[in-house]
Amino acid sequence: MALQRVSFRLRQTVACARSIHTSGCRHLQEALAVEPERNPEPFSIFRTQESDPACQLENHVGQYYTLPPAHIQTVFPHGLPARFQLQMKTFNEGCVMVRPPALEVISYLKRADYSKPALRFLFYGVKGSGKTMSLCHTVHYCSTQGWLVVHIPDAHLWVKNCKELLPSSYNGSRFDQPLQATNWLRNFRVTNEQFLSKIQTRHRYVWTKREFTEEGRPLGELVDQGITRVKSSSDVVGAVIKELRLQSGQPGGCFRMAVAVDGLNALWGRSTIKKEDKSPVSIEELTLMHNLRKLVKNDWCGGAIITALSQTGSLYTPKTAYLPHVLLGEEGFDRMDPFVPVTVSNYSEKEFESCYLYYQDRQWLQHPQSRTEEGKKELVFMSNRNPSALERLCAFL
Amino acid sequence: MAAHTTKICLSLGRINGPGFGQYASLNRATYATALSTSNFTGNKGGPDRGGRGAFVRRPRREPGEPRTEKMDSQQDWSAVYPSAASFRPGSVPLPVRMGYPVKGGVPSEKRGNLELIKIPNFLHLTPAAIKKHCEALKPFCTEWPAGLDSDGDLDKHLPIQIETTDYVSAGPSVRNPAARVVTLRVRLSSLNLDEHAREKMLKLLGDRYCKDTDILTITTDSCPLKQQNTDYAMYLLTVLYHEAWKTEAWESEMTRADRREYIWEDSASQQNVLDTLARMATPVPGEGVGEGVGEGEAPPREVLLARPEVQQYRDSVTRLKNEGESEGATLRYREAVKKLLSL
Repeated sequence: MALQRVSFRLRQTVACARSIHTSGCRHLQEALAVEPERNPEPFSIFRTQESDPACQLENHVGQYYTLPPAHIQTVFPHGLPARFQLQMKTFNEGCVMVRPPALEVISYLKRADYSKPALRFLFYGVKGSGKTMSLCHTVHYCSTQGWLVVHIPDAHLWVKNCKELLPSSYNGSRFDQPLQATNWLRNFRVTNEQFLSKIQTRHRYVWTKREFTEEGRPLGELVDQGITRVKSSSDVVGAVIKELRLQSGQPGGCFRMAVAVDGLNALWGRSTIKKEDKSPVSIEELTLMHNLRKLVKNDWCGGAIITALSQTGSLYTPKTAYLPHVLLGEEGFDRMDPFVPVTVSNYSEKEFESCYLYYQDRQWLQHPQSRTEEGKKELVFMSNRNPSALERLCAFL
Repeated sequence: MAAHTTKICLSLGRINGPGFGQYASLNRATYATALSTSNFTGNKGGPDRGGRGAFVRRPRREPGEPRTEKMDSQQDWSAVYPSAASFRPGSVPLPVRMGYPVKGGVPSEKRGNLELIKIPNFLHLTPAAIKKHCEALKPFCTEWPAGLDSDGDLDKHLPIQIETTDYVSAGPSVRNPAARVVTLRVRLSSLNLDEHAREKMLKLLGDRYCKDTDILTITTDSCPLKQQNTDYAMYLLTVLYHEAWKTEAWESEMTRADRREYIWEDSASQQNVLDTLARMATPVPGEGVGEGVGEGEAPPREVLLARPEVQQYRDSVTRLKNEGESEGATLRYREAVKKLLSL
């Protein structure tokens, strides 16, 4: 239903879309001429009707597919980048471009053998090239395939600006972050509603003298425990991760797990959180990070670990660093080894065309000169086809 | 009176000038004034003073044509300029021009050109002259040693090269403090070093060693004299060599982080790969699996390590870590991992 409403709104923009695409790009017009029957596009050349990532192929590269609004609420309560969320609010739709890196990882996931240890993928690229969006695209695929998605939107948020730091009750040398943990558990519950009743705990967990979770209880109870009892939420996160890891590859298991971590370099970086005596807290001493490190190890099977690097939120890393070994550091690289690094580069010509047409279609480019050929060349030059730079530039126009 | 005579001389000069340029007349003028002042003093107390009539000047002789007109093109130039001398326009048969031209003009010609006289010239060092110098020096030289024909021979018999610089300048003092710098170069392959000694030597040398040419360079300038510096450089070489061969007690505490280069064997990366492959546990047909290994068990370590994709993976990781990260290295790593995990 939501899809039909979206398409109705799109129909209204047909007139402008038609005039735009006849005035411009030879590239995409050739594509249209080549395959008229493959993609019957009554709306525009830069969109595709395939909103199921599993069915997207190479010929969809450069085209935007619409995220169904229902999916946006369940799959991405916290996953999408902030600027993209603003864009979604402005345009009233969430459109993601189909790009080669995400397609590559999705193809590997389709062909992988899930009885083997979890495969690890790492998106890397220069700042603003679309790593987080590729990660979200892959997460959308996993979610449409019915996998359980453990999505940590930005690991950097857990190592800085922590308002409350409690000493852990489970292990005296570690520290808990109740607010972050509770927040995450809430979003986890929203994303994986259907699994919470199906998965049972295998161990008994004792939270305080009077509270405990028995064996065999549904996972939902564990998660609720964490959300209601804020003090023990970090330990609950640890317990949830442990359960999922144990159960995901099992022969009788009912689910496949996708672990998506953005800002992976936070796990082996430094933190700016300080203890009361102003000495810095090492990453190992944070319960959440300790558990997260266990999660991205490939000692479990029946799923995949998809990660992305991020220099933007990272601490104490140079601005120009973007390669995996540089950002992860020696330790991080050795722990993540062997992983498949997937490069995310700036827009190609076709993708740039597509983005430009999309903005025009959405009436985002108001400046009259931005619609001319000259203006387009200027945009290419100024942004160097970098997606985030282009988006920020167009925000002014 | 005297001034009057000067003017007459000048005018005479101008009239009689056989077509020389303005400069000639000016020169004439300077010569003329020089002459007149000397005449003036001569007039005052000279022996000719007696005769009240006009004194007789030394008869003026016309300057002949310059020597350049008479020079043969095959002449012996080292006779014209046998040693360093200033530029003589009449002796150099070249139409040289020098100087900043006036507007719309050209640089001035060589005749009377002070710029050409001021600058140092090498007219006394033509190739022919130098050949003559060499011929003259040959009786004092010794022969090049037989058996040192190529660079390889030189390296074999005389592996150490010492480079010094001498400075010559004219000034209040002939000493130059820069002359004390001594550079000693030697190839490490000509030194007798075993594995441990080589590693230790490379750690001790640091920047002084060039990996591409395998040359160790020691530069010394801490002593005031050149000879002291050469002795010091030789001393340093000796000490380095002997220290490299010694093994101290604390060297046994060396960790992986202390090593100069990354070695894949016994590293975390190797462990990860072996664990992953063990869990993937599909023995490849044609591999020599020992009899003790059952069907469902993982092949032993050596078998796993001998697989070509593991070798390729090992090469890519070693290169990535040793040579620093780059796009190419990352792509190579990616291909190796894809093969390893059979994607």
